[in-house]
This record gives sequence, C-alpha cells and structure tokens, in this order.
Amino acid sequence: MTTEGGVQYSKIAEIKGPLVVVDDVENAAFDELVEIETNEGERRLGKVLEVGNGKAIVQVFEGTTGLSISGTNAKFVGKVMEMPVSKEVLGRVFDGLGRPKDGLPDPIADKFVDINGEPMNPEQREYPKDFIQTGVSVIDGLMTLVRGQKLPIFSGSGMSHNLLAAQIARQASVVGTQDDFAVVFAAIGVQYSEAEYFRRSLEDSGALKRSVLFLNTADDPAIERIITPRVALTVAEYLAFDLGIHVLVVMTDMTNYAEALREISAAREEVPGRKGYPGYLYTDLSTIYERAGKLQGRKGSVTQVPILSMPSDDITHPIPDLTGYITEGQVVVGRDLFRQGIYPPINILMSLSRLMKDGIGEGSTREDHSEVANQVYDAYSRAQEVRALAGIVGKAGLTEIDLKYMDVGDVFEKEFLSQATDENRTIEETLGILWKIVSQLPKNEITKIKDKFVDQYYKGK
Amino acid sequence: MAAQGKIVWVSGPAVRADGMSDAKMYETVSVGNAKLIGEVIRLTGDVAFIQVYESTSGLKPGEPVVGTGNPLSVLLGPGIIGQLYDGIQRPLKELSKQSGSFIGRGIVTTPVDMTKKWHFVPTVSVGDEVTGGNVLGTVQETDLIEHSIMIPPDHKGGKITNIVSEGDYDLETEIATSEKDGETISLKMYHKWPVRKPRPYKSRYDPTVPLLTGQRVIDTFFPIAKGGTGSIPGAFGTGKTVTLHQIAKWADSQVVVYIGCGERGNEMTEVLVEFPHLKDPRSGKPLMDRTVLVANTSNMPVAAREASIYTGVTIAEYYRDMGKDVVLVADSTSRWAESLREMSGRLEEMPAEEGYPSYLASRLAEFYERAGRVRAIGSPDRDGSVTLIGAVSPSGGDFTEPVTTHTMRFIKTFWALDAKLAYSRHYPSINWMNSYSGYLADIAKWWSENIDKDWFETRSEVYGILQREDTLKEIVRLLGPEALPDEEKLILEVARMVKIGLLQQNSFDDVDTFCSPEKQFKLMKLLVDFYNQGQQAIKAGTSLVDIRTMSIIPSLLKARMDIKDDEMPKLDQLEKEMQEQFKSITGVKVSN
Amino acid sequence: MAPNSTLEKSIDKILKKTEKEILLDLENSSLDSKQTLDNSLPKLEQGFDKIISDGNKEANKIEKQIIGSSELEVRNKQLLLLEEGVDKVFSKALDQIANADRSGDYSNLINTLLDESTKILGVTEVTVFTNAKDKDVVQSALSKFSGAELSSDTIDCLGGVIIKSKDGTMTFDNTIDTRIERLKPLIRKEIASKFGVGN
Repeated sequence: MTTEGGVQYSKIAEIKGPLVVVDDVENAAFDELVEIETNEGERRLGKVLEVGNGKAIVQVFEGTTGLSISGTNAKFVGKVMEMPVSKEVLGRVFDGLGRPKDGLPDPIADKFVDINGEPMNPEQREYPKDFIQTGVSVIDGLMTLVRGQKLPIFSGSGMSHNLLAAQIARQASVVGTQDDFAVVFAAIGVQYSEAEYFRRSLEDSGALKRSVLFLNTADDPAIERIITPRVALTVAEYLAFDLGIHVLVVMTDMTNYAEALREISAAREEVPGRKGYPGYLYTDLSTIYERAGKLQGRKGSVTQVPILSMPSDDITHPIPDLTGYITEGQVVVGRDLFRQGIYPPINILMSLSRLMKDGIGEGSTREDHSEVANQVYDAYSRAQEVRALAGIVGKAGLTEIDLKYMDVGDVFEKEFLSQATDENRTIEETLGILWKIVSQLPKNEITKIKDKFVDQYYKGK
Repeated sequence: MAAQGKIVWVSGPAVRADGMSDAKMYETVSVGNAKLIGEVIRLTGDVAFIQVYESTSGLKPGEPVVGTGNPLSVLLGPGIIGQLYDGIQRPLKELSKQSGSFIGRGIVTTPVDMTKKWHFVPTVSVGDEVTGGNVLGTVQETDLIEHSIMIPPDHKGGKITNIVSEGDYDLETEIATSEKDGETISLKMYHKWPVRKPRPYKSRYDPTVPLLTGQRVIDTFFPIAKGGTGSIPGAFGTGKTVTLHQIAKWADSQVVVYIGCGERGNEMTEVLVEFPHLKDPRSGKPLMDRTVLVANTSNMPVAAREASIYTGVTIAEYYRDMGKDVVLVADSTSRWAESLREMSGRLEEMPAEEGYPSYLASRLAEFYERAGRVRAIGSPDRDGSVTLIGAVSPSGGDFTEPVTTHTMRFIKTFWALDAKLAYSRHYPSINWMNSYSGYLADIAKWWSENIDKDWFETRSEVYGILQREDTLKEIVRLLGPEALPDEEKLILEVARMVKIGLLQQNSFDDVDTFCSPEKQFKLMKLLVDFYNQGQQAIKAGTSLVDIRTMSIIPSLLKARMDIKDDEMPKLDQLEKEMQEQFKSITGVKVSN
Repeated sequence: MAPNSTLEKSIDKILKKTEKEILLDLENSSLDSKQTLDNSLPKLEQGFDKIISDGNKEANKIEKQIIGSSELEVRNKQLLLLEEGVDKVFSKALDQIANADRSGDYSNLINTLLDESTKILGVTEVTVFTNAKDKDVVQSALSKFSGAELSSDTIDCLGGVIIKSKDGTMTFDNTIDTRIERLKPLIRKEIASKFGVGN
C-alpha cells in the first residue's frame, strides 16, 4: 500500500451513465482507484477505464446520480483498489465494495490485496480431485462437487436455487471437520430477503463465525456489483492460500453482475456482442470464475458455486452460455420439476460435473460409482423419451421394456431426487438408491456397468 | 534504429504511443516502466497502436515504449517438447520460479534452457553444399523424438566451412559455419522464426493417409487425414475438451501441439498431470515425450491469446520440417476470434457480423492453410505433416454464428457435437447425421489395403442403418413403435446397438479409451452380421421378442470395454456364439 | 519520509502512555466476554432441556448455533474495544500535533510537504492554503518556492497545506489530517499488534 496521496482534478468534461470523464489529467494510471468528491463532501469510489491525451474515463461504482460538472472533483489515489484482509474477516459482514456493514470497524489488515487478483499459473495449479460430500444425493451421486471446482447453479426466477445453495453450504461444512472450512457469500443485486435467508441459514448451523458475507442488495448501486464478486474472491483467496482454509464461495446472482457490465459497456458506446452484452463478457467472467482452484504446495482451496438466473429460463442466453463454457459443469434447475413440487428440482440430463470423474471411485466414494451413475443417466434419459411417447400414443402403445423405464423415472424422482432441505445423506445411502433405480431394469438392459459390479450390487429379478 | 516513444493512451490491453515513426508493423516492443511485452498492430503517423501481452493495470501515459526491431518470434531448437508455454512462448514453469503461484508481469525468460547440453550427431561434412532447411545433424530430444537440427529456412545457402564433431553442446555454441560469396554465417542448434509467417516447404501432397485417433466415430465414420483440417464445434457440456484430449492422447502422430486458447486453467493442469503417466499405445513411452502445450487460459491477457495460435502452429511446422507427422489441437478458435474482436473494438474498426472484424474469415483461412502434408526444403528429403484440429465454441450452440460458418468454409472434416446426445450421456456426442468428412474416399483405400477389403461396404451398411433409423424415428414419434413392422423395428433395435456398442466410447475406461483399427472393424462387422442374420430370422418367422432377448446382446454391447485390442480371437468367438444363438431361435417357433 | 517519522515518533510516545490503559480495558473486556459466555451457558442448558426430546441432531444444531453466536459476539466486542483503544491513541496524537510548537522541526516538515506537493502537481504556479496557526511558518517557507502564493483564506485543519494550481483544476491535499487518514490502516495494524491482536 502506498502512502502517496493523489491529486484532485476538478475539470469534469462529461458525465454519462456510470461514467465521469475528467479533463486535463496529467498523472493517472489505467485501472487506478479514484475518489469522487462532491462539493457537499460526499465521497464515491471509482476506477480508471481509459486514460490518455489528457483525459481519464472513470467508472463510478456508486453511480453518478446527483453529480454535477462544476461541483465534482476526482482524486486519483495512486493505487488500484485493494481489500484489507486478515483472519478477523471471518464472521464479518461487508457491503458490495468490501466496507464494513455490521457496525464494526474496518478489519485490521494483515495485508492489502489488489481485488483483481492475478491469473493462477496453470503449471502451479493442483488438479482438483477431493470429493466434497454435500449430502444432497443428486449432486453427490450424479454431479459430484470437488474441492477447487467451479460449479454454477443455473436457475430461473422464483425457483429454489437459494435453498439448495444454502443446504450445500451448511452440509458441506460439516463433513471433513478436521480441515478448516469457511464460507464466503457474495450477494450481487439480490433481494434483501434472499441474502438474509442465507445469513440465517449459516447462523442456524453455527457456521456464521466461519463465514464472510458481502452484501450488495437490489437497492444498492448497480455498478458496485462489478466489485462485489472480486472483493469476495480476494478474501476467499487469502483465506485459502494464505491461511490454508477450504473456502466455499457462493455468489448470487451473476446475471445482475453481467447486467452491470453491460450498463458500463453501453455508456462507453462499445460495439456490443450478443444481446447487447459486451464482446469481452466471456473474458471478464473468466477473471471471476477462474479464481477457483487449488495450488501446489498450499493447503486450502477455493470452490465456487455461482448462482445465476437464466432470463426466460433460456440456457442459450449469453450469461449462462458463456458461464457454462468457463465453469467445470453446471447444475440446472428445471422448471417442470419445480412445478411438480420436487426439491431439489435438478434437471440431471442438462446438468454435469466435469471434475466428477476424478473425484469419485475407489478411495474416495466407491469403485462402482461412475458406472452406476452412467447407467442411471442413460436410464433416466430413456425414461424421459418413453414418457414423451406415452403422452402421444398412450401406455398401450408401449413395449414391456418401455414400461420398466417409466418405473425408473418414478423411482428416480420420488426416492433419489427428492430430499428434505435438512436431510443430509451419506454417499453410501446415495449409491444405494442409485442401485435401487438400476435394479428396476432387467439385467439385459444394463450395458454400462461391468459384470462384477452387477453381480455385487444388482437386486433386480 | 529501435523506436523510442512515449505512451499517450491506455485502455485495457490496447496502448497508443507517439514518437514511434521508426517502429515496424508487428514489431515487438517493451511497454512502460514495467517493461511489458507488446506488439505493434497499427501505425498512424508517428503513433503506434500496441497490443500488450500482459496486464496493463497501473500503466500511465508518459511512460516509455521501446522497440526491439524484431517481429514476434518463437525460438526453435531442442528442449521444446514437454514444455508448457504461455501464448508468447514463455515457459510457465520458469514464470512460476520468478513470480510464484500467480503470473506476475514483465518477467524475462528464455523458451528453453540455453545452458543444457545436448548430444549432437552431425550429418553434414565440411565442403557440403547446403541450403535453407538443410539438416546439419540430430539430437535425441526425448525418448520419442529425434530432433533434426536444421539450417534456418531463410538462410541463403552456401558451403559448410566448419562443423563440430559428435559431442555434447549447449544451444549457444556455434556448431557449424557456412560461407557464400565471402560471407560467413554462424549456425547454432536453434534459430528464431516469426510466428505470423508460415515456414516454407518444397511441395505439397494430397492427404490420403488417415490420422488414426483410436476413436471409433472419428476413424470409422468421419476420418481425418494426416495433413488435413478438422473442426469440432459444440455448445458447452458437449464434451469438446474430452474429445480433443482423446485425440491428443491417442492420435498416431509423432508430435502433438496442444493449444489451450482462452480455456480453463484446470484443463491444462489435467494434461500436465495425466500425460506423463499415460503411455503412447505404439511406443509404450510417456505421452509427454511427444507433446508441447501452449496455454493462454481465459483469464490470462487477451492479446497473448491471439498470439498463442500462431506460436503453436509455428512450432508444429518446425517439427513437420523434420519429417514428422504433427497434430495441432486448438481449443478454442472461438476464443481466439474473440480476442481479435476485442482488439478490433479497441482500434475502433468497423465491425462485421456480431462485432467480429471483417478480416475474421481471412485470418481463419490463413490459419487452416498452414495445415498440410509436405516435402520439406533442404536435404535430405523429409515428408512431414501438420494436421490442424480446431474446437469452436458457438455461442448458444448456434452453428450459424460467424466463427462456425467461416470455419466450415476452410476445413474438410466436421465433427458436430450435439447437446441432445450429451444430455443423454451419449459420448462422444458427435452427431452422425450432421457431421461429415471430406477425406472418406481418399482414406478408404488405406483401410481396404491395411485392415479389410470390405471396410468401405461394411461402413456404408452401418451408416445406412443409422440413416434409416433417423427417418423411422419420425414415424415412431407420431405413432409409437408398435405401429412398425418387425423388420423395421429391428432397424431401430440394431441402430440402438450401433449407438451403444460402436458410436459410444468411454474415454475414462481403461480399455475403451483407445480402439485399434482392427477392433473397430470387427465390432462394426459383428453388428452388421447381427442385423443381416436378424432380418433373415424375421423372414423365417422368428419373433422380434426372441431376437431382443438374445443373451448375446449385452456381450456385443460391452465388447468395446470387455475385449482388449490384443484379444481379437474373443471377438471371433463372439461371432460364433451369435450365429449359434440365431440358429437356436430360428429353430424354435414361438408365437408372439 | 520526514513527515511520517515525525508523526510516528509522536504516536509512539503516546502509545507508551496509553498502552497500560488499553491493556486494562482489554482485560476488562475479556472478563466481560467470560461473563457473556457464562451467561450463555444457562441459556444453552435451557435450550438442551427444551429440545432433548426432538433428538440429538436438533440439539447439536442449536448447541452449535448458541456457541457460535456467543463466540462471535465476544469476538466482535473485542474488535470494538480494540478500535476504541486505537481511536484513543489517535485522538491523543492529533491533539498533540495540533498544539505542537510551530518552530524548528515543524518548519522543516512544512518545507517537505510543500516540496512534495509541487512535485506531484508538476506545476510551480500554485496557491497554498493553510490554517491560521501555520500561516507564518508557511509564508516564510514559501520564499523558496517561486510562483507559489499563500492564499488569504485559511482552512480548517490540524496542520500542513493544501496546494491548488492557479487555474484551479488540480488540487493536492497535504494536510496532516489527510496524511494521517491515509496512514491510518497501517498505524492501526501497528497499534493492534502492540496489543497482541492481529497478525
């Protein structure tokens, strides 16, 4: 941290959207932190997006409402935005820019860290393969989460993604208690009630003292949302890689983040990519998601569960689309299942965990895990086809085998997928139900499991 | 004289500097007090527009910009194999030694260890006439790679006036000198080559030899030739990366260049962790001994992402020139195109479709044109190939977006990944109706000469079954399966078996992950025979239920996992059992 | 840098004086904390009784919750107390600076502040603002800065100067108040470590 002060400039050329253009600027750096001060003494923060030819374009996090050309000064602070970090941030609540929101003083910093982070050297990463038991069958069994993974929840408005994320955060922290575990929660433009639900859920499980909360709620400034995930991840990286803690980062709702980004891009009159989102949305999102991981020679890990609501439940919308290209899989919440009252309403066919293959099997879950999961995926996908067919030709038009697959679908949804929000299943219980589903089928239909496992676990006739 | 200017403007990876009238296009420059690496991409008056390969955070107008006089180049010599480079050929291991777990800025390294000694065996003598590209001698780079030390392609030729004897030398040692018109040129075991300039060759061949990947749906159905071009587009979650990793692992080439261009960091880590332990099925040596990785992950600076493709393909051409078959896998060309778009936007160029620059198509064409099977320049005669395989990540899985459509114009093999197949866990999710290979006819000859003379007919029969199924599915969707006669129901049944037993391949299964061409043919033949005998049985009055419940079916479907490449007699045994079971069911009359 | 070391010296002095005071405060707070924990124990027992029939799982949950939140409460109280201590040190330091003798060392300090400010602004044509008390010191220091002019308006601050370019577009605030504000996070860390808190 520098102790140099910054020069204040008072020649404001233009204010548009979230941007302030300052003229006659001699000494400003790209990305530099800026303090905007009004004549009334109100202070806002911003950063330099572009500098040169005597002009600096500054993005104001708290918005430009109420700023005037003559009554505004911009002070270039001489450093990029930093977050003070220390062990004492655990149990604290901050606003979307990382300032205390719980009435307590600023944390006494162990160090000040650039919130943008630096890209992890791929050569220094440790490939994630430690199974996290979330106690939620559909995740543990079919889309296993591992430490250091980024696995988003793709949801839609009004569905139960928050219940699920909170359940994961609560239950994942219980298992493996010999290791330090912490939860970092970033609320990005969500309703106060949603953030509060999450906080209470952590409190009820006694995990609040091992949590850090960053809250930018719906009524907080929109541009601040650009910063919220970054300060949260800066703290998470510190906890993980400096203190050796396994950190689970829940960020909700990334759609609001992308919208804030679009607002800035529009104000800069950039050529848009799809649906008005900037062409660099992918790159920008990756600077958030790629901050998940494990590093060689360090104990902790950063696991991310970002939540995003798909506009009109459309998975091809740029936000879920580009997210899916960066993250290591996705958990998709299905509207149909949700309407049927099933919790968690996960559409398993559209969901996937890319790192599952390395997190399961002998030594972590069980050697038959991968094959039985494949068979269940296959069977459930057949079940869906048969259901669609039955809707047209009726049950009478189905073969005997088809009818068995209908049973598979029912057992799957009622016994495996459905689970209470406080029900914490072991991986053995989860695998047991998977075999129960497979056992609905005649042996001839089991094409993805080796005979030795069929002999050991199959219970059908 | 090197240009010396000052920064006047900074916006993300784009920097403008004035006082740069001495700068050349595509010259590399040192930017700012932090000495960041950049490249000149436009010159207007004395203002140079520079793309910077490192984060520009904290850069200020007024800081210096200094030209190097050289275009962006790679260093070519022994020591490249097994490395993990960033987009501008900096070894990531060296970067981590200097800046730890995270990538710092302004770090200077050499692409290979210049002090390491290599055992050099000369193949030319004093007095030999040489030209550019001529081989001077060899070095055993890894267990798998005999590295030819070549004279730089732009060398003007002459007589060898000095050559060292066999022995251990480091890269900076002069190993030979050549002389022409009184000018003596010193030659070392390495040279530099500008990445944006294709390396020259003598002549080009038509690609007729298949690149065998051990992946059935590729080799058998949509093959690619050595020196060919292929593209693999797919929405996220369709298994692009897994398929590319499979090709990188099992392709029968001598060198693999894998470019992680704007993709996940963990994917490169996975290759780094996995490849040293995996054995090349042909030589039994670790796969890392033939692999070069170029990683510019999505969160690394976007300009270096643009460069990474050229860095990779230049390295590939270098090994091609030694007479090797090289496969270059680029994941993903869409992210490369996006980096072009981002720089173009900062240059305020007039955008074409979806904000991409109008030169997107020509850049793609130039890239894929660097594929080919060629005769290298210089003596002795060497034939090598570069096969280019690019992943495409179409936004929203929409194949009509600009990167996919332009790519399709320049490639000959198209592996269309299908989200629906991926959702039902059919992997690799290559859609057999939408994919194509322009090499099929050329390559059929190889299969009939080396594997089985009936290969082409058998393949056509299986493909025919899949095409029939596709039409029948429409009827089933409307009327249900019971509306079809038994012979058509059998088509559906066999098509299902083809999908499970042949098209699907489990890359995480020790046996199934790689399939020899012999086994590919046998598996295919078994299913065709099953189909033909089934149709005969139905004609003879056997019920479909009896065929469906034959106990051989699960064995046929699991043969891909249960029977190893060196257990081919077991497949013959399976064929025999199948015939016997057909005999027994056609013998027994069962009323339906 | 000279102004910093002057500042640190005075802070150090005050620190020594207040250390005892604050340690006592902390001890009290620790007693307080114990009391809070003790108080929470009967609460815990009540909690146990109430739900023992609902099964162990539920009991564990509530136990965790109660212990968790009282631990957090204790920690937060400590943080507040520590902050009080830090504030005390600060306000004493500020008092001392405000009332410091305006000769010798202090005029050197003003000199350094002026020099630094004009360099950062990069112009010599500047207007200098200071408080009523420092006017004379600043005026005499300005003789070395041609182009600099002392404004007749005074500002409200502990000491130091604000420098404005004559066209009014650039300002550099080099008052002692601002410098302390900037240094505060570092000074806080130092004070906290002297109290044995933090890293």
